[in-house]
Amino acid sequence: MLLILALFAVLIVYDLQKFIQQKAQARVFVLYTFFMTVSLIISLFLAAGKRPSSPAQWIETVLAMIGVVK
Amino acid sequence: MEKAKISSIQLFLLLSGFIFGSTVILAPGRAARHDGWLAVLLGGIGSILLMEIYAAVALLNPSKTLVDILKEKMGKVVGNLFAILYIWYFIHLASLVLRNFGEFICTVTFPETPMVLVIGLFAILLLYAVNSGIEMMGRLGELLVPAIPFIVFIISLSLLSAHDFTAFLPILENGIVPVLKTALNIISFPFGETVVFLMLFPHLNRKEKLKKVVFISASISVLAGIALTFRDIFVLGTDLMARITFIPHLTAMLIPWLNVEPLVDINLLIGGGIKISVCIYAAAKALSQITGIDDYRKLTSAIFTFCVVLSIWVYENVIEMFDWVEKVWFYYSVPFQIIIPLLLLVLSLRKKQALKGNDIENGNVEQ
Repeated sequence: MLLILALFAVLIVYDLQKFIQQKAQARVFVLYTFFMTVSLIISLFLAAGKRPSSPAQWIETVLAMIGVVK
Repeated sequence: MEKAKISSIQLFLLLSGFIFGSTVILAPGRAARHDGWLAVLLGGIGSILLMEIYAAVALLNPSKTLVDILKEKMGKVVGNLFAILYIWYFIHLASLVLRNFGEFICTVTFPETPMVLVIGLFAILLLYAVNSGIEMMGRLGELLVPAIPFIVFIISLSLLSAHDFTAFLPILENGIVPVLKTALNIISFPFGETVVFLMLFPHLNRKEKLKKVVFISASISVLAGIALTFRDIFVLGTDLMARITFIPHLTAMLIPWLNVEPLVDINLLIGGGIKISVCIYAAAKALSQITGIDDYRKLTSAIFTFCVVLSIWVYENVIEMFDWVEKVWFYYSVPFQIIIPLLLLVLSLRKKQALKGNDIENGNVEQ
């Protein structure tokens, strides 16, 4: 858990200082925050041994509902 | 749009490296058993047609990426919605290849190393490549992709004495249905995945060569696929092929006097690396086009981080991964690889006809 938090902290600090130096647009910050937050939350779940249902399972369920996959 | 250009030879090598990506470890024709070569041949013919459709869409919309074409043909709202779905598809595809790479390395080469470390380190390397731009990726392809056929040739030649040249008989023992099913799967993996190149085609410096480059690359990849399937059937036999996970690795292990296993790893590093780089480049570029961000590089590190997490999250183990790819991948890919590109082709042709009609009308008026 701590390792994941530390890794994400390093990544975010490194990228954010680059964005601030380059005076990046607000939408860059929004998209960056979205991807990193989702990644961090899933990583923490995986590290805690509580794997949330994956996109592969969602896709399979949707295709099964349509009747394409048994 | 980014002004970087790639030559036709660079595009050819990027396409070929992309198609070989994870194919070098997964042998997509194996489900058809004895008739795997026939499935690759039939699937290959369909794939060449499909890839020519992608090239035709790109030529009908010169200097436009997939996102531009979607927005122009389907309107801003629907076009952006489809573009977002494509971004998801590219990211998902990259994470699948990352997982293939991780599974292979952790099963075969470094069994004691955590998969997340292997995938993470590979991702950092590829992040550097993607951030260096499409020209650098083209040059990287030029430098590394020729090694793939060379390595395959060395392995195949070394196994010449271990061949049973009758192993592919009888032909069509189980009927044509399994062959056709496998052929369809081969169209979606790996050939249909080249839809991602609709984001790269505008960078080609000589547009008139696009169709030729795509045709030659697809044809060579199909021929190489048939040769590899024959080699695996001749060397291993179909019963053994059905039971093992990484077929080319076992084939390479059979050479008694030479350890060529690392060469299969190198092939995967090159092919998989190119495939992941192209997918992430396309995803970042498409996202920057939709949101109006000036430089796609600002998003690559976040997308790569998400990709690494997704590759670990998406499947619990290697069995689930293969089962999902076999059962679901084709149906999931059909809209992205076949339906939407066909729709874009029809809409582009209609627009071209309409423009032609207008020109003739204007010409008549002037006369």
